[in-house]
Amino acid sequence: MKERIDFARNAEAALRNPFLQSALRTAMVRFRSLRDAVVEEVPEWQVLREYAYATKMHVLANLDRYLTRLEANVAAAGGVVHWVRSGDEAASTIVDLARRHKAQTIVKSKSMTTEEIELNRFLHAAGVQVAETDLGEYLIQLAGERPAHFVVPAVHKSKGSIAALLSEKLGIPRFDDAAQLTRAVRGELRQRFFAADMGVSGVNFAIADTGTIVIVENEGNARLTTTLPRVHVALMGIEKVIPRLADLAVFLTLLPRSATGQRMTGYVSFITGPRRAGEVDGPEEFHLIIMDNGRSSIHADRAMRECLACIRCGACLNSCPVFERTGGHAYGSVYSGPIGAVLTPLYRGLDVGRDLPFASSLCGACEEVCPVKIGLPRLLLELRSRIVRRRGASWMDRLFVRGWVATMMNPTRLRAAGRVVRILHHLALRQRVPLPYPFSEWSKARDLPPPAGPPFRDRWRS
Amino acid sequence: MSAREEILRRLRATGEAEAPLPEIRAPIRITGDPVQLFLERAAAVGADVVRITSGGLAERVVRDLRRRGVQAVAVWEDPVLASVQSALRAEGVEILLPQDQTSTRVTRADAGVTTADYAIAETGTLVLTCSPLRPRSTSLLPPLHVAVLSRDRILPTLEHLFTDLHVLPSALTFITGPSRTADIELTPVQGVHGPVSIQVYVLG
Amino acid sequence: MRATLFVTCLVDQLFPQVGEATVSVLRRLGVEVEFPRAQTCCGQVAFSDGFWPEAQRLARRLLPTFADVPDIVVPSGSCAAMLREFYPTLFRNQPWLAEQTRRLVERTYELSEFLVDVIGRDDVGAYFPHTVTYHASCHGLRGLRLREQPLRLLRQVRGLQLRPLEGLEECCGFGGMFAVKFSSLSASMLETKLRAIEATGAEVVTGTDVSCLMHIAGGLSRRRSPIRAMHLAELLAAQ
Repeated sequence: MKERIDFARNAEAALRNPFLQSALRTAMVRFRSLRDAVVEEVPEWQVLREYAYATKMHVLANLDRYLTRLEANVAAAGGVVHWVRSGDEAASTIVDLARRHKAQTIVKSKSMTTEEIELNRFLHAAGVQVAETDLGEYLIQLAGERPAHFVVPAVHKSKGSIAALLSEKLGIPRFDDAAQLTRAVRGELRQRFFAADMGVSGVNFAIADTGTIVIVENEGNARLTTTLPRVHVALMGIEKVIPRLADLAVFLTLLPRSATGQRMTGYVSFITGPRRAGEVDGPEEFHLIIMDNGRSSIHADRAMRECLACIRCGACLNSCPVFERTGGHAYGSVYSGPIGAVLTPLYRGLDVGRDLPFASSLCGACEEVCPVKIGLPRLLLELRSRIVRRRGASWMDRLFVRGWVATMMNPTRLRAAGRVVRILHHLALRQRVPLPYPFSEWSKARDLPPPAGPPFRDRWRS
Repeated sequence: MSAREEILRRLRATGEAEAPLPEIRAPIRITGDPVQLFLERAAAVGADVVRITSGGLAERVVRDLRRRGVQAVAVWEDPVLASVQSALRAEGVEILLPQDQTSTRVTRADAGVTTADYAIAETGTLVLTCSPLRPRSTSLLPPLHVAVLSRDRILPTLEHLFTDLHVLPSALTFITGPSRTADIELTPVQGVHGPVSIQVYVLG
Repeated sequence: MRATLFVTCLVDQLFPQVGEATVSVLRRLGVEVEFPRAQTCCGQVAFSDGFWPEAQRLARRLLPTFADVPDIVVPSGSCAAMLREFYPTLFRNQPWLAEQTRRLVERTYELSEFLVDVIGRDDVGAYFPHTVTYHASCHGLRGLRLREQPLRLLRQVRGLQLRPLEGLEECCGFGGMFAVKFSSLSASMLETKLRAIEATGAEVVTGTDVSCLMHIAGGLSRRRSPIRAMHLAELLAAQ
């Protein structure tokens, strides 16, 4: 899609939705307080963030070596590694594997990477049934919607709308209780796990030294997805690799606390190849798909490279005052919030994502909570400068900024302009003069400041 | 050029950058008794945890499972569980051994009984490894997971675990409480896809 | 002791009393204040909006204006942060300016950190018998790590009753051009901030940045609130 993501319009629509505003505010406040409580328990938190950043940047500086080491160790454990350049190649690899194994149904655990490549659309087109098994993703799939948040994809849906949806699709009564609704889904999906010929998962971390992939979850659906079907296919972006098993001591401390305010998520699966001789369960085949899909371009871009350190915790979303008011859909892309405002222009082009880096007050709350210390505000600023340089800005913007700078270049000019502005200010206060851009936007919600009298520089006496 | 070659070439092409790999962090000493901390932290995440002597284990497990109306259990083959297995058999509880644990059978069991290789006190986490005598599904498919843990396997922190752990099985799993979600209006619900409840017996 | 005042364009043109208050406080503490008349603007507005070449013009002008001067005091967290955090970025492709930039960066202080960390005074002899609540402006808070200094100063003002502001670290929604480009979002963030301010029952809301305070005051005025927005310097100058 080459059309610009109109964030301002999407934000306006979100602001006009009282249920969404209330749901988001409640969810974000809750996430923040849960996160803060468990982070406070870790006195060495800042040291861990430094470690995580340094480890990720080291890996990125030696990414080819770590990926080949990972590949060798996955193969040594009996797994098969596939390398793909693009999302389309990844999806067709999965379709091929499904066909080769005559898989008619696939179960999937939650993976932003599979959303990024729109895997389900490919599978449907190829006549393969795919069942989302994460509760939130399952609900979204039933409703035909896109996720509104990495961690709680259905945060924008009320319990009532979920009850209505499940009642319609599963033929169950409209329960008022979250526990009953959940149990109904458990029963429905349990059958799907058994019927599935193939399970597709994402990867939170891939350990180069041991050829192990690590999956973090609460529900147990990833365990089921990677245990019951005969074939397990795991999709990872090239940036997911970390060097040593012991590095997980740090990353598994940072991720659950940052994402959901838990000391540890319900389950963490460490998978090293398929089942071994004599084992009675587990997949017979394990496939790891290592995907580029634009990451190598970001990797080559030194100023932007650090955004590949992201571990997809969602903490930046939860701390962002803009995200809190718009939710994930407004960002028009699978990655939302502050990290999304950086990734979307990079993955989909400055044309498509050109509003996103500007849709921020640069408050820096995201950077403060990022467990891997990505300098998000700085990345947003860098993107702003590229967008202005390559696409130009609106003529109003250019007029205002250049006018400002021209005035400020010269104190005499400033003095003269200051006098004119003071007169206009007085007139504006008496509403005799309609305000030009950007002051017109200002006045929608705010009064102008009171008249100031002579500027400081005129009052100064040594 | 294959996709592999192309990707690796692109990644190599960007040249060297000075970015040293940090040293692995040494395990930090925690204050207090790790066993006590484990009990607290596991309970905090919704696990039922009791301390018991090895002598009292079998009787206690049988009593607790009977109270829950358990009639069929899937078990791991492990010397620690031998007394439990025989006591359950004596009670007429159906025992499903590893070699018979097909997924259709295990999912119909009322409980899965396993040991735990390690536990992490700081987070209340059990660590389970799989093998031919220790299927993955035992702790996953039945609605109740019963885990027997020796107190000397309780490690204070994650760092302690990874210091010890070098060789990995095909599947190693961290289990922290029962399965859960908060996807519906952020309401916490226990028991989604994995077990609905978990009972831990700490020996010693 | 001597200090150089970088008064900032907003204070100079729209809130000159804040500049006067800053000078008054510094002089009271025995600091001799210099004011290079050539100064105008640090270029933050252009820089934040992506106009880096334009911002560079203003920054290149500021460098010689403040070369070889004693410590630079700025009554604005965001302008001090612009100099310290982002001038090195602006000049990253001009290594011949690196030394000048470095000297500028190491001598630039926001007002409250100058008082508390450099002069070493929490008590500046101020008297302001009113209820006050404090809003922590983002750039000062996160860019300069100004968590403690403004509060320490406020606690020593005689007669001042400090009321804690819920969400004091949440952004007020100004963000430079953000306030006009995404004015509905900005207004929504402002609304949250205003409600929190009103809930404290304080007579005055204060902070380190007139940009935030202007935005907050504009909202307070629109809803005819009697609450006044005053810069930290004005409270510290009060006697």
